[in-house]
Amino acid sequence: MAEPLLLSLVFLLIGALIGFLAQRSRMCFVAGLRDYLLVRDTELLLGLFSFLATVWVASSLLYAVGLLRQGMPEYGELELRRALDGGVVFRLGWNRLLAPRALGTAQEAVPVAAVLNRFLAASAVGGWLLGLLSVAAGGCVLRQHVLCAQGNRNALLFVLGFYAAVPVYYLALSRLFSWVYQ
Amino acid sequence: MTRRKHLKPWIFGLIAGLLFVGAEALFGIYPPSAYAFCLACHVRDLMNTVLGLLDGARFQTSMIAKRALLLTSPGVLLGAFLAARVFREHRVLPARRGWAYFLLGFAVMTVGIVIFGCPTRIALRAGYGEVYGLSALLGLGLGTACGTLILRLRFRRSTDG
Repeated sequence: MAEPLLLSLVFLLIGALIGFLAQRSRMCFVAGLRDYLLVRDTELLLGLFSFLATVWVASSLLYAVGLLRQGMPEYGELELRRALDGGVVFRLGWNRLLAPRALGTAQEAVPVAAVLNRFLAASAVGGWLLGLLSVAAGGCVLRQHVLCAQGNRNALLFVLGFYAAVPVYYLALSRLFSWVYQ
Repeated sequence: MTRRKHLKPWIFGLIAGLLFVGAEALFGIYPPSAYAFCLACHVRDLMNTVLGLLDGARFQTSMIAKRALLLTSPGVLLGAFLAARVFREHRVLPARRGWAYFLLGFAVMTVGIVIFGCPTRIALRAGYGEVYGLSALLGLGLGTACGTLILRLRFRRSTDG
């Protein structure tokens, strides 16, 4: 049973490191654009761009040498699997730039029609809602966690609501959203 | 009180990006992919692992959550608390209109469960080149712009009057 313990510890440490660094940098994944639009401050926006660029390059390189696998359902079971099998695809052209076929990565072409489904639209609308709600709350979820740890009681209530939504969703709300995955 | 230098956000982005992608490869955090960090999904998995002990069928978790407890969110709280203490930035700010923040947190998690991601993981998935992550990131940008516009209008109205 060493593996579950180690892996749990890994998640705790990733969280702690990110929490520490996020507190030091005041990083927020939403405030970057907000600050740019409000006062033309680019500092946090640069954080988002550097994150995107780093992930893009690093994931492409690791795919190229076969250290990352791709194209998998979010859940191992239930109807979501069917919905997302053709869906959660990591095959948009640009990974190919750094991962030529000769290196043996498992990137198959997926017909465009397979991706144009309700979940694509739901992702855009959901993202839009997240942006709106995060601006209203004054920061993304990561920033709310950091503020909560700094002693901000509003952020503490945000995080409590965040946790409380999980059982409510699975007991009462999940049916309302099942059409998203059909 | 001494003023300490802050970390530049672009350096945070660099470290976080390398950490998330590297941890996935190194520790085999899979499936799903791009899952080394997410506050919404990891909190969902953590809560559902615990709730699943009571009533297993209703509470779904991702595959990786069957192999470990996803303690990312408590970790972030711990790390940020340590940083705030070490650099003496811990200040208790009492809640104002706290119920609104509770509801905002509730709504953000609900949306996060539906589209599999908090803003951080949306950016992570988009960086991986995942189509849905890119779609959500585009939405996130538009939503942020709309929210900022509302902020601006409200600010203007409050200064006009």
